[in-house]
Parts: sequence; structure tokens; C-alpha cells
Amino acid sequence: MPSSASASPSRLHAVAGTTTDVSELFARWRQHGDSSAREALVRRFLPLTRSLARRYGRSSEPFEDLLQVASLGLLKAIDRYDVERGHPFPSFAVPTILGEMRRYFRDSGWAIHVPRGAQERALKVRDAQERLANERGHAPTVSQLAEYLELDTEHVIDALQAIQAYETLSLDAPRPGSDGDVTSYGDSIGHDDERYELVELDATVSSVMQHIPLREREILRMRFAEDLTQTEIAERVGISQMQVSRLLRRSLDQLRTLTHATAEPH
Amino acid sequence: MAEIPNVCLSLSSRSENVLVVRQALTGVAEAIALDPVETNDLITAVTEAANNVVLHAYGGEEGPLEVEVYVRASGVEVVVRDHGRGIGLEEAPTPDGPVGIGLPVIHALTDDVELKDLAGEGTEVRMTFQTPKAGALEPFGEDGLRRRTVGEAELASTIEVALAPIPLARAVLPRILTVLAARAHFSTVRISDLGLIAGALATHAGDSLDGSHLSVGIDLEPRRLRLRVGPLRAGRARTLILDPARDGVGPAIERLAADHSVAPEGSSEMLALQLVEPR
Repeated sequence: MPSSASASPSRLHAVAGTTTDVSELFARWRQHGDSSAREALVRRFLPLTRSLARRYGRSSEPFEDLLQVASLGLLKAIDRYDVERGHPFPSFAVPTILGEMRRYFRDSGWAIHVPRGAQERALKVRDAQERLANERGHAPTVSQLAEYLELDTEHVIDALQAIQAYETLSLDAPRPGSDGDVTSYGDSIGHDDERYELVELDATVSSVMQHIPLREREILRMRFAEDLTQTEIAERVGISQMQVSRLLRRSLDQLRTLTHATAEPH
Repeated sequence: MAEIPNVCLSLSSRSENVLVVRQALTGVAEAIALDPVETNDLITAVTEAANNVVLHAYGGEEGPLEVEVYVRASGVEVVVRDHGRGIGLEEAPTPDGPVGIGLPVIHALTDDVELKDLAGEGTEVRMTFQTPKAGALEPFGEDGLRRRTVGEAELASTIEVALAPIPLARAVLPRILTVLAARAHFSTVRISDLGLIAGALATHAGDSLDGSHLSVGIDLEPRRLRLRVGPLRAGRARTLILDPARDGVGPAIERLAADHSVAPEGSSEMLALQLVEPR
């Protein structure tokens, strides 16, 4: 499906700059060490870098930190690019810059920061929801919340999911007792060790719950929200009671590790 | 290779639907417990592919966008397809021509990319993300997916989803419905109700399904969502709502849905629900 650049606008987000003057700048930098040429290259490809940081680091805050990392990736790409190979610079720079951001995420414990940031946002959204409902006399819509908090819609939606996930597993949720009384999950704690452990973990458990595989989360929910015995869970899930016991043990340990990790200051 | 996807999305290529795709993938990532970096790679790459369909497949018009997700033991595969003139991914950048970054981004974040020109019928981008975590998902029965695609006439206001197995549906369906309810100007209270219904349906519809996949068709109007849920085995829709043993679905629907009815469809039936934002 051949098409000329003039007849068909770039199908894939065009990047400014023709190869000719770019290769001239590369020649000046690589062959003559002309640092003004290197600066010109940085300036030219900064929009590309910024765009990559924005695409890849949607949930990363603050954005400026990530842009710094991406810019470091750009410098590496400029220094390593081999004009002779004939590939356009962007197709070499994109993976280099993304690689730098991914390494940063892996090394900086971003995997722990993200749920924390999301948890903070969820709290903000919950508060704003109440405040707006009180002020206006009705619950806000997502776009009203987004506008009020200066967040984008997707962040508000993620926050609402987090709030809901937390409420589903909340230990304070009322449940009917066997004699018709309404007790809270917290009241029935102390009957055995697992329950006790989950309460200890309660404060940060929702933010790390997403790291627990779904089947184990289901088992946790059955054990702690539905109050089923290990044998009852075993029957429902179709595995042995021993396996349920092992899975519960493993997910509680995992929750403990993750919770402690999020509690550490970074 | 069993070519039955875990997730099928059929929707319009309008830009606001990219968020539906992103949230569906967030649900998938959650269901198989991908870590945040893996999740970010997956969502960023698929967003690029979907955005390219939005921007380029139909020359500024609206057309069908299809997304399929396959969760396999070795990893996740996502297919993004259009039926337009394609996204021109095979066009090699010329020395003077502009170079796009969509494809380089996809290449950098995936383990494998396959681009297919569907001979005048569109383009397919097939992205593979290797991760052993995908093995955590239980396999599902291989038959029973009746593919529903949104027709041209309904494209603007309808979305079709099919999901399997049930734990995956539980993670994905509430997210998709939340995006659509937000778009239909539902209040957060109603969105939370909707989340309850979606969770209850995904949980309890499992043993009533006629086949492996939970299919949900969603029609969108301001302050109103119409859902068609199924295909359920004949007679099961009523049981699903009325059975007192299934705490959750019946009461939630009675309390939260403005209307519900059962419509036969072939040898199965579909449960139709209408949810409204009263204000």
C-alpha cells in the first residue's frame, strides 16, 4: 500500500525534522565533537522525548522526574546512534528512551510507588465525592470529580475501582450474625490467627491487593468476607483443604511483605 | 493453537473508546497479577495500536475497532484490528519522509509484533507479551463463543464484550461498565451500584452460561445504559434473579436496575437490564 507523504498524512505521529540536517548535526557532533550540534539534537528531539514520557508514564508522578530520565535516554541515544546504519534516528531513539524509563521504574521501586500514589488518589477522590455531595446535594459525576480535583477521567475511574475493591473487602462492613444481629467483621476477629493477621494488615491492604493473583484474592474474600471455612472454600473452588490452607498462608505472607514494603519511606 | 480469545471487544473507533480498551486491559493485568511495569508496557503498547486505528484507519470517520486478548501459559497476546484502510504500519519510513513513533513504541514494549494486511479489509496488529504470570488463569472450555460484532448502524452507541473465564470477567466487566457509566453522566453512587451488579453477574452467571464466555452488549445513552447479558441456558435468567441462594444478583438487580426482562435467543436466552441515572 504505497503512498507518498504528501498524499497521505503521516499515519504514525510524525516527528519533525528531516534526516538530512539531522545527519549533518550528527556528523558535527560525532566527528568534530561540536557540542552545540549535540545541544541542537537534544532540542530537536525533546518533543519526541516528552511525548514518550507522557505516553509511557501516565501514572508516574511527578512527571518532571520521568522527563529527566527520558532525557537521559535521549542523550544515550544521541551518543550511540550510528548514522552509517541508515536507520532514521527516531526508530533508534524510541527503544533507547523507553528502555531508560523501564529501567528507572524497575530500579526505583516504582512498582511500589504506583499503588501508593493510586491509594492517595483514591482517598482524595473519596473525600471530594463526599464534599461535593454535601455542597451540591447530589453525588457528583466522574467528570465533575475530575474537574474538581484536576485529574484526568482515567485516574478518577481507577480511584473509584480502588475504593470499590476496598469496600468489598472492608473489615468494617456489617454482616448479619447467626442470631440475626448485625456484627462487623472486626467483631468476629480473634477466632483464629488468619483473621488476626488480616486486621493487622488492614491499613494498607487495599493498595497491595492487586498484586495477589485473582484466585487467591477470591479465596481471601471467601475466607474473610464470606466467612467460609477452609473446607467450604475447598469445595467451592474444587481443590483440597490443604491447598486452600497453603494458598491462604501464601497470600497472607505476600500481603505482609507488600504492606511492609509500602510502609517503608522512600 | 486454540484461537478463542479470553476477551473480545467490538466497538467504534472513536477516540473516547481507547479508554474502554485501556480499562479492559487493566482488568486483565489485574486478573493475572502482572506487576506495574508489565501492566504499563501492555497498556502503553495496546494504546498506541488502538490510537492508530482511531486516527488513521477510517480517514477521520468512525469505523469498527476490534480487540482480542489471549491469555496463554507463556504470556498475553493482544490483537487490535480495523476494517478500514489500515494503519499503514508496513510503510517503511523514507529518508525524507516523516517517521512515526507508534510502531517503534509497540516494538520496544512487546516481545513480538506481527502486522497483517487483511487484503483490503483492514489491518491487524498482533502483539505478544511474554510473562509466566499469564499461566495463573484457569483455562476455559473451548467452545461456545458466539462472536458478536457491533453493526454499522449501532456503532456510535453500542459496545459488545465477551469474557472468559469467570474470574477474568469479574475483573474486566466492572471496569468497562464504569467507563461507559461515566460517559453516560452517571453519578458516582450509581457507578458504585453498577459495579455491584457487574461483579454479582460475573460471579453468579458462571454456571448458567450457555458456553464458555460471558457476553455483554451495552447500549449507551445519556443517563441510561442497556445491558444484554448471556447467553444463558433456557430458563436460567429467571433463576439467576429469583434464586434466594444467590445472594447478590437478584436483590442487586431489584434494587438498582430500572427494568429487567428476558429475551430468548436461539436455544438460549439473554437477560436485559436497564440502568438509569435518575437525576
